[in-house]
Amino acid sequence: MTGYLVRRTGQMVLTLFLIITFTFFLVQAQPGDYASFYVLNPDLPPEVKDQIRTAFGLDKPVWQQYLIHLKNTFTGNLGVSFGNFPRPVLDVLAERVPRTLVLFLTATAVSFYIGFFLGKAIAWRRGGLFEYAATISGAMLFTAFTPAFALMMIWAFAFKLGWFPVGKFLDPLVWRGADVSANYVFGNMLLSAAAFITFALLVMLCLKRFGRRVPSVVAFPVVLGGALVIVAVWALSGIGGLALDIVKHMVLPVATLTLISFAGTMLLTRNSMLETIREDYVMAARAKGLPDKQVRDRHAARNAMLPIVTSLVYSLIFAIDGSVIIESVFSWPGTGLTLLQAVRSEDLPLVMGAMLFIGTLSLLAHVIVDVLYVYLDPRIRYQ
Amino acid sequence: MTDRSDSLLKVDGLSLSYQTRQGELQAVRDVSFELARGSALGLVGESGCGKTTVANCLMRLLPDNARISAGRVLLDGQDVLLLTEEEMRLRRWRRISMVFQAAMNVLDPVYRVGQQIIEAIETHGVESTDIGARERVARLFRMVGLDPQLMERYPHEFSGGMRQRAVIAMALSCDPDLMIADEPTTALDVIVQDRILRELKAIQQPLGMSIIYISHDIAVVAEVTDVVGVMYAGRLVEMGDTADVFRAPAHPYTAALVSSFPSVSGERRPLTSLPGEPPNLSDLPPGCPFHPRCAYATDVCRTEYPPRAASGSRWAACWHPLDATLVPQS
Repeated sequence: MTGYLVRRTGQMVLTLFLIITFTFFLVQAQPGDYASFYVLNPDLPPEVKDQIRTAFGLDKPVWQQYLIHLKNTFTGNLGVSFGNFPRPVLDVLAERVPRTLVLFLTATAVSFYIGFFLGKAIAWRRGGLFEYAATISGAMLFTAFTPAFALMMIWAFAFKLGWFPVGKFLDPLVWRGADVSANYVFGNMLLSAAAFITFALLVMLCLKRFGRRVPSVVAFPVVLGGALVIVAVWALSGIGGLALDIVKHMVLPVATLTLISFAGTMLLTRNSMLETIREDYVMAARAKGLPDKQVRDRHAARNAMLPIVTSLVYSLIFAIDGSVIIESVFSWPGTGLTLLQAVRSEDLPLVMGAMLFIGTLSLLAHVIVDVLYVYLDPRIRYQ
Repeated sequence: MTDRSDSLLKVDGLSLSYQTRQGELQAVRDVSFELARGSALGLVGESGCGKTTVANCLMRLLPDNARISAGRVLLDGQDVLLLTEEEMRLRRWRRISMVFQAAMNVLDPVYRVGQQIIEAIETHGVESTDIGARERVARLFRMVGLDPQLMERYPHEFSGGMRQRAVIAMALSCDPDLMIADEPTTALDVIVQDRILRELKAIQQPLGMSIIYISHDIAVVAEVTDVVGVMYAGRLVEMGDTADVFRAPAHPYTAALVSSFPSVSGERRPLTSLPGEPPNLSDLPPGCPFHPRCAYATDVCRTEYPPRAASGSRWAACWHPLDATLVPQS
């Protein structure tokens, strides 16, 4: 396993090198450079533009720029963002990446949960009206044109019903006079979420240690209690209102992403379940007199899960890629929106930084799914 | 032969059909037999004769398109066909367990073998503690000739013979009154097959458990059963003490089956294979369904289903039984 991970890391470095190379020349292939972004600005004399070019090294030959960039990247220096001068790229990304990750991890987790739950239910009880309705509506949502669907969601829930804000990360009116920064509040929210997930996992692990005789019903109140403690701490902290404002802004994008992506998991789960249902071990589980739910969840669905976990990781990558669209529509200041703005203004270091993040994330997701597979399927071992 | 008070299972006039796109397929017709506590019954016949359907019917594990049109299945005098699904669930494995035909895939690949047996033990509350359940699995493993440490392994780490032993251990895990063994050793080589059969026989008697063996291999059935029923096209055509039936078959079909198998210990004789194909269940010939393949068929065979010819507990459904001691019942 260790040898395998070392080899995978080597492959990842090589792939990242290729990603950097391709992206670099792709951006360079665009006409113009960062200075020509100001070409229509009459206030900027040509000498200043040349000054910008010299300052950012854009007057050097492309191959030289490439080598400098490569050297900097592999020594951990992602450079300074032209558009956010003088903020380093790393600083910009450190602010934006968590926002994207939270949005898309939440949406992927929710849509995976809903899709898996619905998929196994409709595969288990076939031919009902419910299967028909779930499949049709799921397929319709799945094939919907994302920007149009997102706009419809905004129109319905933000504009007409007014339940949620139209877009953006926070409401300036709520934050006026606040003595903490949005990044501080958001960072603490992330820490709380991480603490809660760790706590929930620990509870599950402890229960497993005590054997299956402890009813899993115990787990739910304990986890719920943990959640209540965290909520109480936030309510007493004085910045709870600000956190709530960020959460409110998250609901609509997460809901939109969930609606357009849950059907993929649902249909895949359904098909995968229809395969495993016919397996002899499912018949044997029923013959053993196990309750219907246990046959479905512990045997049929557990085995049906294997191909779905693979698709989960790919769908996560697609979601992060698609963040360009969703974040633009919802004006969510994450990596996707940053990447779009950076590409349009030829902010080369920022484009490279954002692409490096997306590439690293995709490669990591693949390794994670490979490792996860070992735990999900005991037949798989890596040498 | 069978004392009524000692009867564990009584199948009475069981008929079952599958609804298929080609129409109704009558898989089991008017099957009746009785099984005494602690005895072993064999069901033999060609593929598709309804043996497995009868077995699945006893466990009520039938596909959705199956319909039981008549009959009763009395387990200790109680008709299992009338039980609710939940009542039936509690009886599965606890009262009737099963060794499946395709033992290779009966074990779930993602769980440890021991865990899958413990799962059944816990469901039926046979042991009250985890340790008790584990000890029971260890005992079962030793009983079927497996090292108890193997219970921590996964199914893919087992050989075919080991898996089959584990599946038998699983079938024994809740002390069932009846174990159905559906082609329990077909997938194994002859040496392993023989060993497992001997062990099964050795286990059965001290436990006082009844077994129904289902097989197309009459050598297996002859070795381990007390009573045998021969099935053809969904019907039982001959039944009686195993030794009698195979020594002197009364039904021409049974005779054909016996002569198509070599005998290791008996005299040398040429093997004959049965001409023709098993009949299409959705389009059975009139009269005795075996008549197109039967060397003794006469006009009456082609028009009317034969009555039973019986002698004691031995009977055959044939117009011209080969054993003259069988007397036709009107």
